[in-house]
Amino acid sequence: MSDDHASSLISAEVRHVEALLESRGLLGAGEIDTRIDEFLAGGTPANGARIVAHAWTDPGFAARLLADANEAIREVGLSMAGGLQEQRLKVVANTAEEHNVVVCTLCSCYPIALLGPSPSWYKSEAYRSRVVRDPRGVLAEFGLELPAATRISVWDASAESRYMVVPRRPAGTDGLTEPELAGLVTRKGLIGTAAV
Amino acid sequence: MSRINDVGGMSGFPAIIEEPDEPPFHADWEAHVFALNGALIKRGVYNLDEFRDAQERLPVQEYLAASYYERWFAAIRTLLAEKGVATPDELHVPHD
Amino acid sequence: MSRTTELAPGMRVRTRATDPVGHTRLPRYARGAVGVLVERAGAHPLADERARGRATEPHPVWHVRFAAADLFGSGDHTVTVELWEDYLTPVEES
Repeated sequence: MSDDHASSLISAEVRHVEALLESRGLLGAGEIDTRIDEFLAGGTPANGARIVAHAWTDPGFAARLLADANEAIREVGLSMAGGLQEQRLKVVANTAEEHNVVVCTLCSCYPIALLGPSPSWYKSEAYRSRVVRDPRGVLAEFGLELPAATRISVWDASAESRYMVVPRRPAGTDGLTEPELAGLVTRKGLIGTAAV
Repeated sequence: MSRINDVGGMSGFPAIIEEPDEPPFHADWEAHVFALNGALIKRGVYNLDEFRDAQERLPVQEYLAASYYERWFAAIRTLLAEKGVATPDELHVPHD
Repeated sequence: MSRTTELAPGMRVRTRATDPVGHTRLPRYARGAVGVLVERAGAHPLADERARGRATEPHPVWHVRFAAADLFGSGDHTVTVELWEDYLTPVEES
């Protein structure tokens, strides 16, 4: 069976269930499309990059961010209230001594309302099974070779909080504006599988 | 009981694959399944923990063979049947 | 669950070692292990109960830090797991 054929079979099954739910009043006409559009127009890694760039340039904000991220991100016009309910955000910052990396070993918890959809590798058993046990090896596979002296702290999103990493500010970026700094930050940096 | 979703520390899974473009969905039906689940939770047909539980209860071999959103769709059908919204037969395209 | 000791940051706790019948949010790799409470992570209805369709009052949740060597027998990193208080028992300091 080709992938296309399998995909068209499951497409038909999904449409069938949607039609059934519409007929029973459990789904509004157009509700699915609206939800998809809202989701795709929602969170984005650019939100996280903005937060990080602001934390790099404003130590007071950085301190507030680590102490109470939900309150602090309101200062830059963002919130964790975009999903089904406001979720607690826990922000952790990398230092010269310690590198943080985030995983959800039990499912795929991720700050979607803030950062948008997670990458497929984040949801894979390959990542989830190994990063808690051998983070140094997993990070090396991502091309991130940490000095042996750097402590690694893995965070398992096993309950209700969602997590974001503040990477270290790269050297030689003193002259950059906040938007330019934000442009350096990647989604992997916000998860902890890249340096920035 | 130990469930197949609980993989932290397990060995034997393949190498991590990074997709070049990392699309949020790989087919339209995946986006529909995602939105359908959100709509049903918002309506209170079931809650997020029941949804996770329903995925975890899938037969292990079926779970491992399924893609991420195939698991979601299987869990949605399980819950719709268990909640009495529809019979399992009604939740499948009729075969001639 | 009745508890005689109030949990507080810095306290050492042992996680539940048993294997529950249904849905739970205590990962298998962190069962029966001793870790240190880092900070409170709010309070939420227990996922184990909600998965059975039961509504419960919010229960405290904690970030609990484990040494990898205590979980896996090797490793120099730490793993911080977010756990409901229901899964935790204070370790008596001797």
